[in-house]
Amino acid sequence: MSNAENLLQNKMLSEESRQQRLGRLLARPDIWQAANEHKRRRSGVPTGHAALDALLTGRGWPRGATTELLVNQSGVGELSLLLPALAEMTRREQMVVLVNPPFIPYAPALASAGVQLEKLLILHPRGQKDALWAVEQSLQSGCCGALLSWQCGRPPADKDLRRLQLAAREGDCSHFHFRPTSVADAPSPASLRLSLGSDGEQLAVKLLKQLGGRSGQQLHLARSPDLTRRDQPLH
Amino acid sequence: MLWLCIQFPKLPLEVLTRAQRDSTQQTAQAVVEEQLIVDANRNAAGRGVETGLTIATACALCADLQLLQRDTQREAQQLQQLAQWGYSFTPVVSPQAAGSIDAGDSRFACLYLELSGCLKASGGLQPLLQQLRRELHQMRISAFMGLGHSPSAAHMLSQLPEHRQWLREAETPPTTQQWRQWISFSPSKLLDCDNKTIAKLYACGIKRVSQLLAIPLSEVGSRFGRGFVDYLARLNGGRHDPVPSYTPPPEFHSELFFPSPLDNSEQLLFPAGRLVRELCQQLQRRQFYCQQLRWKLDFGQRGCKVFSVETARPLLDPQRLIALTRLQLEKLTLEQPIQALTLTCDRLLPMDQGNLDDDLFGKDTQLQRSHQLLDKLKARLGHEALSGVTLKESYLPEQAWASADTLVLQSGHQKRGHQLQPLNAPRPTWLLPRPDRIQSRDHRLFYRGEIQLLQGPERIDGYWWQHGRHGRDYYIARGEQGGLYWVFQDLTSEDWFLHGVYA
Repeated sequence: MSNAENLLQNKMLSEESRQQRLGRLLARPDIWQAANEHKRRRSGVPTGHAALDALLTGRGWPRGATTELLVNQSGVGELSLLLPALAEMTRREQMVVLVNPPFIPYAPALASAGVQLEKLLILHPRGQKDALWAVEQSLQSGCCGALLSWQCGRPPADKDLRRLQLAAREGDCSHFHFRPTSVADAPSPASLRLSLGSDGEQLAVKLLKQLGGRSGQQLHLARSPDLTRRDQPLH
Repeated sequence: MLWLCIQFPKLPLEVLTRAQRDSTQQTAQAVVEEQLIVDANRNAAGRGVETGLTIATACALCADLQLLQRDTQREAQQLQQLAQWGYSFTPVVSPQAAGSIDAGDSRFACLYLELSGCLKASGGLQPLLQQLRRELHQMRISAFMGLGHSPSAAHMLSQLPEHRQWLREAETPPTTQQWRQWISFSPSKLLDCDNKTIAKLYACGIKRVSQLLAIPLSEVGSRFGRGFVDYLARLNGGRHDPVPSYTPPPEFHSELFFPSPLDNSEQLLFPAGRLVRELCQQLQRRQFYCQQLRWKLDFGQRGCKVFSVETARPLLDPQRLIALTRLQLEKLTLEQPIQALTLTCDRLLPMDQGNLDDDLFGKDTQLQRSHQLLDKLKARLGHEALSGVTLKESYLPEQAWASADTLVLQSGHQKRGHQLQPLNAPRPTWLLPRPDRIQSRDHRLFYRGEIQLLQGPERIDGYWWQHGRHGRDYYIARGEQGGLYWVFQDLTSEDWFLHGVYA
């Protein structure tokens, strides 16, 4: 084999490995490519709200990533927003874990929303360190469909949030993190950030950040008519 | 075959009085069952109290007689312990419980040991028998023994005084000839059969077994039945004499001693791993599994510390067990240096096909991964941090749910017979642990601003038949910032409370 031929072959080989490396880099979920947009459609977990699905890049809640839900006050319908997706997961025999819920998850309401209660696990770890550990372990385990965690105490450090995001990707678990709206301006590694509020009648959803998609849209979702129906006053 | 039968004639009494100091100045004591004396101590026996007397007669003979109720359960336990003791001499051991007095069966509890395999190891027959007698004496258990070529023969000969006399000086096991002689020499009342048969034998003039053996077997069979002929054959060695074999209870116990005490829980990981591997090897060999590992950290003179690791499913993988142990060890702070580490598993359960969820290629299933996660969370956070929820049937909203054990998670796929259906009414997703009082002024309600009632009332009136009546009118209300709440007015006190949040 001549020297020139050898050189040519080496060059081709290195070209090939470079292509491979590039391919691997582009396959990363956090790199957005306009050309790949059609492939990534429908990879999310359907939210059960058509209008919200249309706004999200994956046509649903992102899988294997953290979603931050910024809520100031409980009662605006933040859990009902997730319930259709959670019910679907428990029906598929995936576990749903709640870490540090602020109140008691009320079984009759969850059951009538279609959640299989046997697949629901509620954790109350003692300190923040234990809570972070439990969240990370559950996310990594690969047997949880979704994990809902509530921030209690001081806000977690940036590197902890990043770790949780990585753990969610490893275990292919949807992580929903409830935080107060005061952290809206602080940067966060979450791939989707929504701010939830109420405009009086409806649930107002504002997209603060979305990986690989647009943000800034506002959406108003009506609450269940059973709840907001107004009876004639008795007296 | 060389069978030794050890009979325990005073077991009912000794089980109850073994802890007392042995002295001749003891009070007279007797064990009672069903109004009859079962056994009496030496003091009582000296004054005429014997087995089979009624309590009234016994008390008349000996006024200060102390009566003890017979405890058959404790006797059975003691017999199991004796069987375990016998197991340290020979692997073939069979315990036999005493007959109960109300069935008219006065057999003593006894233990059969097969000795032919262990004579050499114990240095001959005489040293072995001496050791057995010595250890029984130390345990304060009186016994008498008989040696035979079958368990039945050993049982009968143990009651023959001449044989016991010979056994005391025996150097070598007897020949078949000698056994035959002893058996035919024994009186027929020693035969192991009911009183009716013995009375019949004596009525026929058969006083010794030799006379019985002289009669053709078919004759014996027609007079005393097939069972009796069968027994004679077993006695003579003409037929196999099976006894149920004793197997020691499955458990694991192992200890590691540290010549130089450890003061760091990190250092414990290596010895702990070694113990866990030993356990797993044994479990695999005997096809058992365990659900709880009990660890004991021994601080020598300064006490010890015990913690346990539990697994939801059978686990034979040492790595995972070590990982679970490690989670517990990390929580520990050691105040004192550790001198020894002990691993105990009390209950080893036989492995079934069903409860092993490892498949051939060792791939984790979804279910298996969730078990592993639960074990891990339980090990670090503790039992109380994990919970589930279930529905419950009740009128009161706060009693319509129940905190479920996490074990419910596992049985998720097998539906139970009765399925509770949730109420078909809008219920809040969050329930407050206890109703929160809300302010009301001039027919207006305030909870983080004014709230307005949208729907209601839905009257829930529970426990009106009891003192603590719960009469409530529930409403759905909207707060100033758009939150929806579940509030109620107590019918008795007319106070308003917040009970749930429609999150």
